[in-house]
Amino acid sequence: MNLALEWLTFKGVILRHFKEFVSYRTSVFATIIWPLPLLALNVYQYLGLASGQQVGQVLNAKYGIASFSGMIILGTIVYLLYNRMLWGTGASLQEERFNGTIESLFLTPANRMTVLLASGFSSLLEGAWWIVGVFLLSWVIFGVQPAIADWGAVIIALISTMIALVAVGVFFASFFVLTRAADQLATSLQAPIRYASGVAFPVAAMPAVFQLFAYILPVTYGINALRSTVVQEGTLISLVGTLAPLYLFTAILIIAGHFMLKRVEAQAKRNGSLYKI
Amino acid sequence: MNGFDVAKQANAVRSSIGVVTGGERGLYWRLTGRENLLFCARLDGVREDRAKPRIDALLKLVELEDRANDNVEKYSRGMKQRLHLIRGLIHDPPTLLLDEPTLGLDPNSAVVVREFIKEKLQKEQGKTILLTTHYMEEADQLCDQIAVIDHGKVISKGTPAELKAGVQKIDVLRINATSVPESLVSDVKLIEGVQEVKTSVIDPVAGLTEILVHTRSAEETLPHLTETMVKAGARVRLIEQSKPSLEDVFISLTGRRLRD
Repeated sequence: MNLALEWLTFKGVILRHFKEFVSYRTSVFATIIWPLPLLALNVYQYLGLASGQQVGQVLNAKYGIASFSGMIILGTIVYLLYNRMLWGTGASLQEERFNGTIESLFLTPANRMTVLLASGFSSLLEGAWWIVGVFLLSWVIFGVQPAIADWGAVIIALISTMIALVAVGVFFASFFVLTRAADQLATSLQAPIRYASGVAFPVAAMPAVFQLFAYILPVTYGINALRSTVVQEGTLISLVGTLAPLYLFTAILIIAGHFMLKRVEAQAKRNGSLYKI
Repeated sequence: MNGFDVAKQANAVRSSIGVVTGGERGLYWRLTGRENLLFCARLDGVREDRAKPRIDALLKLVELEDRANDNVEKYSRGMKQRLHLIRGLIHDPPTLLLDEPTLGLDPNSAVVVREFIKEKLQKEQGKTILLTTHYMEEADQLCDQIAVIDHGKVISKGTPAELKAGVQKIDVLRINATSVPESLVSDVKLIEGVQEVKTSVIDPVAGLTEILVHTRSAEETLPHLTETMVKAGARVRLIEQSKPSLEDVFISLTGRRLRD
């Protein structure tokens, strides 16, 4: 592997995505606005039942969650980034096909995985505002007080979650390219993941069967890692049990994505078509 | 391909070819022409210190330097095609694959693109070019070797002259007429010596139809042909005997016109 060439590809894809992203003002505007109603929805579905303090007490007593708003905000941030992966990186190869650029992309010597990883990181960059902006807004609007005991643990939890989300994007990208209905697939994957990964409630509150599903989703571990370190004074040691499966699923998704992409390419060479389903 | 094994050295092959597609698609519309080229250079592994002067030179070559910093969405179809062409040249590959390079271009732009391929790429730079086209005139003008593909199979190959020589024993009569009834084709096919008859409307407003007749002998067929046409009520405007073109070669080989 020639790292200089990989870097050229990586840089090229990130710069291209960034230029395309900022060239659509509506897209930038939507990125800024979109998280706010979702955050409000997640918070006010509880506040319609009881005060924040009361809800917090119940969550703490039953599930050991100290900060009700913090739980929701961190869940929402990870979910938003997941969505960005789904629609950004996940749909990236599909979009190349609609643009008519996939042929020339595949006929360059550029490493396809590097292209997808770069696409994933550019999606994260586009959504970076959500991490800082939403948290700051939440602090102002909902009075969330972070309970951070180990800043190193926060940073590692955040980076690990981002890597896992990029892996999710890579996996979806190599899968979505097999169908003309990628948009419908992406839509259909929004609500189940939102539910099963415990974006707005503790996973432990779900029926046992759904909890099994929750624990095969990297999004769940990402949310748990951030909740633990940002609002529950989690340390690096206490994170090990969350990060180990997170990295395991990250590796599985990257490897699965890599082999699926190879299969897709082999099929395209054989049949002259990418479509499978 | 260029000394590399396509199965085992796929990336080396990719580095040694430039691919040029045609049409409105295939470019990033929200990027400028220069940004499109720089992006492709990066994917082709061309370092920026080499890519930037090369991009400037290529833009100049196709006279796009004044519009290089405009988004591609503002380009005309012909400008997009010129950008497509130089995109495949960024890494200076010895071999170019041109897929329908003049598809959908207006006649003037098509001439410019063909001249560029012939004069700059073939003559000046000595590139090996594999070109796919439905335009037989284009193949005739640009290609040293032609392979005719029908239903995914190569059915004939050779130089343009060799292919035409293969149908020299056939005379081609080209007739322009109005008021051509549908039954005329079957009537003409009954004339002795006639091998193929194809019609196409060339001026819908005037109702002008071109009839192409392949026959063993134009001299023997012509009197019967005119008689048949008059009987059918067709008004003949022009009859000429022409040398077989590559389109005639295609018809002769496949039994159908390219537009069918």
